[in-house]
Amino acid sequence: MDSKLKKEKHWKFLKRHLNLLPSSHQKQDPNRLALVFYSILGLSALEYDKIDGYKVHLPWIRRRYQKMKIPESKEYISGFVGSPLVDIPGLNTFSLSNTLFGLIVLITLKDYDFFTTILDHDSISRFVSSCQTINGSFKSSLDPVTGLPSPVDSDDLRFCYIAVAILYLTGCRTMDDFEKFIDVKNLLKYIKEQECTVGGYGKFDEPHSGYTSCALATLSLLNCTEFITNEFKEKTLCWLLQRQVSNEGCMILQDDKNATYDETDNGGFQGRENKFADTCYCFWCLNSLSILTPDWKGLCDTDLVNSYLLDQTQNTIIGGFSKTDEDDPDIYHTYLGIAALKLIDGTLDGPLCMPISSLQEFLNNSG
Amino acid sequence: MSGFDMNNYVDVEPLEIETGLPDEVCPIMYTDEYKQVMSVARRLMQEGEYSERALQLTSKAIALAPAFYTVWNYRYSIVEHLAKESGDVEGYMNKEMDWLDEVTLGNPKNYQIWSYRQALLKIHPAPSVKRELPILQIMIDDDTKNYHVWSYRKWCILFFQDFTNELTYADSLIQRDVYNNSAWTHRMFVMKHTNPSKHEVREEIEYTKKKIEIVPQNVSSWEYLRGLYEVFLDCEYDEETIKFAEKFTDDILKLDITVDKEVSALPNIESSYALEFLADVFAKIPSPENTNNAKKAYTALSLKYDPIRSALWNHKMGQLA
Repeated sequence: MDSKLKKEKHWKFLKRHLNLLPSSHQKQDPNRLALVFYSILGLSALEYDKIDGYKVHLPWIRRRYQKMKIPESKEYISGFVGSPLVDIPGLNTFSLSNTLFGLIVLITLKDYDFFTTILDHDSISRFVSSCQTINGSFKSSLDPVTGLPSPVDSDDLRFCYIAVAILYLTGCRTMDDFEKFIDVKNLLKYIKEQECTVGGYGKFDEPHSGYTSCALATLSLLNCTEFITNEFKEKTLCWLLQRQVSNEGCMILQDDKNATYDETDNGGFQGRENKFADTCYCFWCLNSLSILTPDWKGLCDTDLVNSYLLDQTQNTIIGGFSKTDEDDPDIYHTYLGIAALKLIDGTLDGPLCMPISSLQEFLNNSG
Repeated sequence: MSGFDMNNYVDVEPLEIETGLPDEVCPIMYTDEYKQVMSVARRLMQEGEYSERALQLTSKAIALAPAFYTVWNYRYSIVEHLAKESGDVEGYMNKEMDWLDEVTLGNPKNYQIWSYRQALLKIHPAPSVKRELPILQIMIDDDTKNYHVWSYRKWCILFFQDFTNELTYADSLIQRDVYNNSAWTHRMFVMKHTNPSKHEVREEIEYTKKKIEIVPQNVSSWEYLRGLYEVFLDCEYDEETIKFAEKFTDDILKLDITVDKEVSALPNIESSYALEFLADVFAKIPSPENTNNAKKAYTALSLKYDPIRSALWNHKMGQLA
């Protein structure tokens, strides 16, 4: 794999996203920490030797972390705001996803000092707790005025995962730890409701491997995968393995008939039944499988995933990975492509989607 | 945007976006329009101005950066205030839905629109499913497997508790593309919520078989068929359905199949899903003959019909009694 992976090209591609960006990126401005996360984590996972140079940005990233009083209360909440655009003095504009991105970027750049001297564990956990809705799920932000879960946001498994990941990184380990801040029982009930008839997780009975990964990663971080019944575990395992696209045997019979079948997708994973394979679903499916069974590499053909990513969606000219073999590379698929490759070679922590070495070093340092 | 004029905001002191500092990471080359619109929008949000001009400005801000979640919150508050002030909440909310329709048509991939829509319906004094169907129709026509749109449709159906047109609707999409998994799972969603009679379940099974006959190698229709038996019939597979599945497997279970079987000695079959279906059915009803048939089916899948998943088929074989 190593010779096919165009590491230096990817470094270049990722570094470009940390420099001055053209105005076409304005649409991504509200969640700029997402761009930073994908780029820095990509560089870290690909062992970029000069990553320390990005420490000059630590003050800017730290400034995205803010604390404010809850309206009509003595208590504080804190979290990350995605970018200066969203930073509006006096208004609570934290977002769960940007909070997770911010924390992981700081860990990756080894800013452990932030965690011991700046981060306020109580208030950040209170922010997470405020995002939980009555159905057990989470919204990604609060109403800036009332401080209640935002009425215009969706609540779904993505935000459940992000909420639990934040709590994990700020120190929660046992069920009692998590229960201090969130209603775990209600969350588990919500996750169970997202189980689909055919296996996998998704909204209203249509399974989706992205949501499946979020559900399983949440259970894994809560250390309660045993909450899934054996029957459903088995169903989900089969459902996930069936998402690996193949051009052998009867599968090729779909050629020319199924508009979303492409024999060159062979080895890649799709997000749902009868869809094209896609770089990011390689990660979502493999991560799900790795949580379900330690034996996952023996159950699916990871060599074919490697070939799909390296031969089909890797851009060998400008670097980066694209969604499918017909798109231009983008930063999101680039990181998810790298993450899938690194999960296979055993150097990436799936549930937190970050290099194991950075995570271990951080955990050792935070005692 | 009609009637939008930056001159209406000259009295607002812009709340500028911090940019250009040496430690900034991935700075963006903002256009002048972006800087202008956003710095005014930020000030209005900070001051909590709930006015017609603020509403207009949020349209502009959303067009420039649809993921700016705070603006959506702000717009929602403005609408709540102005609707009340107008004395015609229903009329005002309808106007807002019209605006949202336009944004939706212009940004089919923006998913914030759907949760915003749900929020509006929840405070609309007289929400109507009829009002929702046309936009849903257009959006699904545009992208027949759009997950957000289908989710929203199902949310609506539950919100209005109106399942009457849904099987017909899913059928129209299946007729258009028998591989549309969203349409198939929509049928299951409807069936599960409408407490169908045995007769209706039987009809549904017949429907599915007809679709399988059109295209036997289709994961969606086979999964649905299996789902019907699991959810409504306690996994009691009847002889007729087993015979039906066997039609697509060229009677290969009559052959002697072991791991060392020559692949070339196996005939071509029409559907690996039919064979998998049979294997799983046989695995569920333990008898020496059934177990043997399941073993043969998994072995054949592994050898020839779906070899990428040979480890899965072995895993399943390991679970046989």
